[in-house]
Amino acid sequence: MRTKMADLDSPPKLSGVQPPSEGVGGGRCSEISAELIRSLTELQELEAVYERLCGEEKVVERELDALLEQQNSIESKMVTLHRMGPNLQLIEGDAKQLAGMITFTCNLAENVSSKVRQLDLAKNRLYQAIQRADDILDLKFCMDGVQTALRNEDYEQAAAHIHRYLCLDKSVIELSRQGKEGSMIDANLKLLQEAEQRLKAIVAEKFAIATKEGDLPQVERFFKIFPLLGLHEEGLRKFSEYLCKQVASKAEENLLMVLGTDMSDRRAAVIFADTLTLLFEGIARIVETHQPIVETYYGPGRLYTLIKYLQVECDRQVEKVVDKFIKQRDYHQQFRHVQNNLMRNSTTEKIEPRELDPILTEVTLMNARSELYLRFLRKRISSDFEVGDSMASEEVKQEHQKCLDKLLNNCLLSCTMQELIGLYVTMEEYFMRETVNKAVALDTYEKGQLTSSMVDDVFYIVKKCIGRALSSSSIDCLCAMINLATTELESDFRDVLCNKLRMGFPATTFQDIQRGVTSAVNIMHSSLQQGKFDTKGIESTDEAKLSFLVTLNNVEVCSENISTLKKTLESDCTKLFSQGIGGEQAQAKFDSCLSDLAAVSNKFRDLLQEGLTELNSTAIKPQVQPWINSFFSVSHNIEEEEFNDYEANDPWVQQFILNLEQQMAEFKASLSPVIYDSLTGLMTSLVAVELEKVVLKSTFNRLGGLQFDKELRSLIAYLTTVTTWTIRDKFARLSQMATILNLERVTEILDYWGPNSGPLTWRLTPAEVRQVLALRIDFRSEDIKRLRL
Amino acid sequence: MSMEDYDFLFKIVLIGNAGVGKTCLVRRFTQGLFPPGQGATIGVDFMIKTVEINGEKVKLQIWDTAGQERFRSITQSYYRSANALILTYDITCEESFRCLPEWLREIEQYASNKVITVLVAPEVSFDITSITCISCRFVGNKIDLAERREVSQQRAEEFSEAQDMYYLETSAKESDNVEKLFLDLACRLISEARQNTLVNNVSSPLPGEGKSISYLTCCNFN
Repeated sequence: MRTKMADLDSPPKLSGVQPPSEGVGGGRCSEISAELIRSLTELQELEAVYERLCGEEKVVERELDALLEQQNSIESKMVTLHRMGPNLQLIEGDAKQLAGMITFTCNLAENVSSKVRQLDLAKNRLYQAIQRADDILDLKFCMDGVQTALRNEDYEQAAAHIHRYLCLDKSVIELSRQGKEGSMIDANLKLLQEAEQRLKAIVAEKFAIATKEGDLPQVERFFKIFPLLGLHEEGLRKFSEYLCKQVASKAEENLLMVLGTDMSDRRAAVIFADTLTLLFEGIARIVETHQPIVETYYGPGRLYTLIKYLQVECDRQVEKVVDKFIKQRDYHQQFRHVQNNLMRNSTTEKIEPRELDPILTEVTLMNARSELYLRFLRKRISSDFEVGDSMASEEVKQEHQKCLDKLLNNCLLSCTMQELIGLYVTMEEYFMRETVNKAVALDTYEKGQLTSSMVDDVFYIVKKCIGRALSSSSIDCLCAMINLATTELESDFRDVLCNKLRMGFPATTFQDIQRGVTSAVNIMHSSLQQGKFDTKGIESTDEAKLSFLVTLNNVEVCSENISTLKKTLESDCTKLFSQGIGGEQAQAKFDSCLSDLAAVSNKFRDLLQEGLTELNSTAIKPQVQPWINSFFSVSHNIEEEEFNDYEANDPWVQQFILNLEQQMAEFKASLSPVIYDSLTGLMTSLVAVELEKVVLKSTFNRLGGLQFDKELRSLIAYLTTVTTWTIRDKFARLSQMATILNLERVTEILDYWGPNSGPLTWRLTPAEVRQVLALRIDFRSEDIKRLRL
Repeated sequence: MSMEDYDFLFKIVLIGNAGVGKTCLVRRFTQGLFPPGQGATIGVDFMIKTVEINGEKVKLQIWDTAGQERFRSITQSYYRSANALILTYDITCEESFRCLPEWLREIEQYASNKVITVLVAPEVSFDITSITCISCRFVGNKIDLAERREVSQQRAEEFSEAQDMYYLETSAKESDNVEKLFLDLACRLISEARQNTLVNNVSSPLPGEGKSISYLTCCNFN
């Protein structure tokens, strides 16, 4: 009700109160202050202010109405709020109660869990107590057990007891000493320690006896006991000693056998490689056989120690074998001999390269076996370390890797082999160089062949030498031989071919050509009868010509062969790399060396190009020139009658074609298709250039132009048949000149020029077009001058 | 081979007595590492580093050779194709300096006459520094071990001058002059290569004729 009352009087109240308040807050609601109104004097101004005030009043009224409309909803909200009052009081009470309960439960839980913790602690202590009691019992049991076991010579049992004792927590022992029976336990412990010492002594002694007697089961029996006594290192050392003795005696036997081997024996040439193989196989077998025992009884990661000891013996035996090898095969002496021979201008008698062949093969075989053996060791040790280091830190792993690298890289075996291979590389280089020289010296040419024998021979040799280096399984050795082969081919052998080309292709006069071709064939025939064609002492020009052409072919084949060699080596080595030989850099090293070798192929290609240019300028040009010059002797300033006569009796082009054909026949027979093709290409360019010069010095009339057009067509038709290249391009300028010479009138050129040229691209400049037009004696120079091109 | 991403490719071969610090020098330059307790190199090691000089990508193929005598025949086979040889000695080891003439004889015998040789003295030790000397032929290493120096800088300079070499002292450990050594060398090689093509264009020599090209001072070595 009260609210309703308020509702009723509030509007008048509000309206009554508001205006003054409006007036007070005039600055806020109305822009017009009372002072302002008071200060106004003019009627107009007053009216204006009044109007504005009326407007403001309306706005205020509208706002008031809107506020009044909200009254209902506000009232209903108030009612709901009033109703909620009692409920809230209830909730407050409940909440307080709940808080009390939670605090209580919490305390209870704390209480309970602290008891549980105490129980846990008690339990743990109990367990520890039981453990210690067990340990103490074990200790007693061990003390008793050891004695009995020792009495019964049951060393495994005794060792097991000692092992148990050694595994016990030292504090347990300390603790038992402090107990009531301290003195007794002390005595027992003393006994136990004595027993330990005794057992160690016994095991060592028994092991020594067993090894002496070579009683493998006994050796293994005691070998297994060492780790139980904490004597891992000693066990492995002693066991290795035993194994080394076996290796040594077997190796000695083998070496004795070698010394007694008959030289006619099938394996006599590689007997030292075989001996090394036997040694390596023996050691590998030992590792294979005993690895499981070591792993089982000594734990993973111990194989390294065993192999470290074995490698010492291996090195000792390798040294013996290699010493014998060096002595028996005169390895060092041969090397010194080779070294002397390798010095240029040395006077010592040359060693026959063929004599080196077997020893080189044997050395590479020895190295290959060593690499295989070392790879085997690396793999075994690595994987053993890997098992042991699965939980180890990165540093430990790296440390182990370093140990392994050091063992394998610095062992005498590695060093010895590196030394042998070092000398091998020099000897192989000598072998290659001398054999190549020999192949060059014995170079023969057989009729029907494009190349002479030395190309195939040289590449056979190079391939053999690199192949042998490859068979050593040493990447450095292989790369070195590839480098040396690159040198040999790039300088020495290329020089041989270069010198031959430098002698040049003897220029023959025009009259000689016919005879030249036939006698060159005769030379081939006669050389065939002799079976040999000595390309060294070239006396006659025909021989010189033939030698030049054969050399060109040789150069091309060399270039091809090098590319082939590269591909072959690449595929041969993929297998090697897939086995992981030579570390991570091996492939990169090999690729780099090989790409140097492949680059030599281009050098031969350049040489070929130079030779061809030489041939073109010294042999083809001097002969083609007079043939083309004879164009002058044929008048192209002719009447109908002469034109018809030319038709019947060709004055120039047929003979020219015939001459070209004969000359190229000589080359076609003796050059490889590829070279011949390049040569005809060069010849065609030459003809085009020279003919253009001649044409520009001749004069023509209409029929003469037609005649020239016919001649050019015949020539192009012929040349198209002999080359695989498109020659249209080379003759484009000449064809266009023929077109110009063939015009009816000067102005006809405009039908072909500029916008009318259609698909034709002019190769002649406007000046040249005028020059050619001027060759027509029947064209007036004023007409030509007047042309707009 | 596909189009490689470089403008120049040079082969650089490091030579010198065993233990003078060739491998450390190369590792420092190519990997920025100074691995202590480096074992002796076996045969040849091969590393690549591409550097940029005046906007041009230069790929350096660095062949780190074993110094021990038994690898000599293998390492010598690399001399001929090398664009530059870095002859290294240890300033704390008189012996390694005394062997230099012998190395030069080897270079004379096996290397192409176009090769640039540099003398370097790198220092490998772990407590002091390393020297590298570049001459047209060599490098003194281990300047970090200056207090244990056995070869005075003056002697090395006189030697390299007499042999027409550029000399530089480096420390692979402190990384002194290492970058400089290789970058200067690359500079020289580039200008030499340019000079070479120029010469070849002027007169095309008969094939097989080795051309001796006089060295030119190409870049500022300071």
